[in-house]
Amino acid sequence: MNQPQHPQLSRRDLLRLLSGAAGAAALAACGTTTPTAAPAPSVAGSNSTAPSAAGSTAPSSAASTAPSASASARPAGTTAATGSPTSSAAGTAVRATPSTAANIPTEIQIVNSGAKLPTEKVSFRWVDSGDQKAVFFKQYFQKYQQVHSNITIDYNPLPWNEIGKVIPLGVQNGNAPDVFQVPQNVPGPQAVREGWVAPLDDLIPNFAEWKKGFPPGAFVTGITDFNGKTYTIPLTSNQRYGQLTLYNQEYLQQAGYDPSAKPFTWTEFRAALKKLTEQGKGKYFGLIFEGNQTARFAAVVNSLAQMAGAGGTGGTGVADNINWKTGQYNYLSDQYLGAIDLLLGIKSDNSVFPGSLSLNAPQARAQFPNGVAAIILQGPWNIPQWQLENPTFKFGVASQPIPDNGNPLPLGYGPGGSNLLWIYAKSPNKAVAADILSYLGSLQGQVAWGSISDGADSPIFPQANQYAKVSPLAKQAQDLFEKQMRLAPDPNVRNPDVASVSLEFRALNPDFGQVVQGLFSGQLKDPKAAMKDLQDRSEAELDRAIKAAQAKGAKVSRDDWKFANWDPTKNYTEADYKGA
Amino acid sequence: MSLESAEKAQQVALQGTGSKRGSFWEQLVAARWCYLFMIPALILSILFTAYPILASWYFSFLDWSGFTASRTWVGLANYAEVLHDKFFWDAFKRSFIFMFASTPPRLILALILAIILNDQALKLAPVFRTFFFIPVVTTAAIVGIVMTFVFSPFNGPVNKALLGIGLVDQPIDFLGNPDTALWTVVVVFVWKNFGITMIYWLAALQTIPAELYEAAKVDGAGAWAIFRSITMPLLVPFTIIITLITVVQTLRVFPIVQTMTGGGPFFASEVMEVYVYRTAFGTGGIPRLGYASAVGVFFGLATLGIAILQGVGLRRANAQRRELMMGGE
Repeated sequence: MNQPQHPQLSRRDLLRLLSGAAGAAALAACGTTTPTAAPAPSVAGSNSTAPSAAGSTAPSSAASTAPSASASARPAGTTAATGSPTSSAAGTAVRATPSTAANIPTEIQIVNSGAKLPTEKVSFRWVDSGDQKAVFFKQYFQKYQQVHSNITIDYNPLPWNEIGKVIPLGVQNGNAPDVFQVPQNVPGPQAVREGWVAPLDDLIPNFAEWKKGFPPGAFVTGITDFNGKTYTIPLTSNQRYGQLTLYNQEYLQQAGYDPSAKPFTWTEFRAALKKLTEQGKGKYFGLIFEGNQTARFAAVVNSLAQMAGAGGTGGTGVADNINWKTGQYNYLSDQYLGAIDLLLGIKSDNSVFPGSLSLNAPQARAQFPNGVAAIILQGPWNIPQWQLENPTFKFGVASQPIPDNGNPLPLGYGPGGSNLLWIYAKSPNKAVAADILSYLGSLQGQVAWGSISDGADSPIFPQANQYAKVSPLAKQAQDLFEKQMRLAPDPNVRNPDVASVSLEFRALNPDFGQVVQGLFSGQLKDPKAAMKDLQDRSEAELDRAIKAAQAKGAKVSRDDWKFANWDPTKNYTEADYKGA
Repeated sequence: MSLESAEKAQQVALQGTGSKRGSFWEQLVAARWCYLFMIPALILSILFTAYPILASWYFSFLDWSGFTASRTWVGLANYAEVLHDKFFWDAFKRSFIFMFASTPPRLILALILAIILNDQALKLAPVFRTFFFIPVVTTAAIVGIVMTFVFSPFNGPVNKALLGIGLVDQPIDFLGNPDTALWTVVVVFVWKNFGITMIYWLAALQTIPAELYEAAKVDGAGAWAIFRSITMPLLVPFTIIITLITVVQTLRVFPIVQTMTGGGPFFASEVMEVYVYRTAFGTGGIPRLGYASAVGVFFGLATLGIAILQGVGLRRANAQRRELMMGGE
């Protein structure tokens, strides 16, 4: 053994070489603050549907279970809406005409908005967070380029964490995309204040009339409108939640359950999961859960607790989990502690799919149609994906579990809608951007959107849901959202200075979702003590952020987070803001 | 590049020390082609290595989210906060646990394999070498994702095997259990990377002069005696450098940890880089790029300390090696 082969490299040479490598490695280690060099985790930020930080209700939590762009790619022609280009799209634009129920096409149309489009060759760039948008815009832009052959569109669907880097850098360098989504951690008001984006008023033809087409509450000062001008359009509605009871029909039928006829109460839910697990005999379990994605713990506890009357809205941002009535964080409420108890009970029954703590949302979603669990609590975006990828899989859609008293309160959703699209202030192609946004904000555009997203992301126009071609299950989900959700207040609407507090607010460590995960994994033992600690830290951080914002001139106080006249059973209207 | 100038450059390079060496300028001119060809690499290193490192040093003195125009100079405040950050110290500790747990098995396993594969009698050595090296060139994030399936408690092959041979009667949630998550990542990390360490060892083994072995054999030394008295002592300086490279690599494990556990459950496997990432790009509040930079720089300094210690060790080992080689001549 140890026979040398061809010692072409002298020992001295090799030592020198390795010393050099070692030195370089040590130097590189000294600069470990370059996580940008590491591949971005695709699951962390692949949620397309989260609205920007301010004014969100279903935000990162609900949206973070949305499929990644690649996962949701749909082959062309699978539904009527994705069919071949219509004659109108094959070469000429259709004139914009008021649509009636009878003549609204569910396919994409290229409509001439009347915007003064360039005649010379133009390169146009669009960045959004993908998912259903990628499915829609890939088809739309293809047709758009067919009609406008001088316009080349560079469409880039990116995960949110990439958007968080690309857009600020693009703005700093003066070459941001023509249309983009503002990063999740940059509040909209901040983007306006820093001059990133252009108002739409003078860009979109017949602006006033066009704006009237949107439902009330879509445009809100502090979220879409600033200083009397409109800066962004919400493509989709916030009126949805990500904790539907999605169930394996065969397993539940066998066990004698039908949650779409009568939703589970908390107690029934726990008992059903136990029974289903026993029925599965190790082949499947009651519940599969994406426990590696801590924001999902936050979303589920929050959503269960709100429906039980905790009072507030959902999510993981500054204002989320605040009780609008008191202006205080909700973490110590009976409903929050009760929802945590429910999760811990389900776990102690061994009703949870083993390994759930190492699954993220897309993984859990992908496993579910394989029959490994009877129930998953996720959003409507699962529906079209399962129907496409697992056409033989029979599943049902029902409300999330309701409180034991059988009287669920509506969940709150934020004003302004989601999937906000903004035009870059220095874009040389604002007319093209306006032409496209004009279509997206028309009934035709909304119906086409609704048909292609198939219930995954409801259009902002409620009437578009009626004309859009969606599957019965997606329709069922939409009906639930309409029944179970009401417009909630948003501090940004009443006082735009609140955005400055968002810019000071530091992420809690550990945050809500992480604390619940710690309880669930058994690393934290006492729910009440853990939530008390979270409550104290949250209150202290909000106070600190408010003080920091005040020091920079913002006119804010804790009262900005209090809406004494809020009634969770009713939509919170503009009149309510005035009366608060 | 003409043949003459290449030769001249080589001469200059070979001349080493002594009075024959020309002025700095002459050397530079003589080796101009070498330098010219190095420029692209140099520019890239400045852009993508030197600049980010220097920038992170600067950022570490700022209170800055990374995207707003306003940056506040806070001096050493970030560093002061780092010292009192429990999550930082926990992650710090875990990074070193990761290092101490993964370095020895990786070095020893790779050395044993290198010694076996260095044997010329082994005809299939190149096949095995390639086989062991494949995980090294596979993207870490992909390995991480695949491994979540391999270690899954539900139908994962590892659990199936353990249940099959009766070693356990309940599947183990390797990545979801706080007691096993970090160790599972360590095992995968060692498996993924020992191939590169093996190549280092192979290169080191091949520098040991054949005559030494022949002489030993003539003297009647057995395989163990040869290993103990020739291979081991001559490998000492390489051991130090290979250990240093390996140690530094074990502190750069972001993709595999992030894809396998994301640092969870509840921070049980959160090593330093995952912590830096969470602080710099976290959700639920404003990102703190300045603070994250301070964390990174602080941790970088700690690793630099290790490098310096090893540098001292290397100098001593070199002296020893010279002695040994002189004795051998």
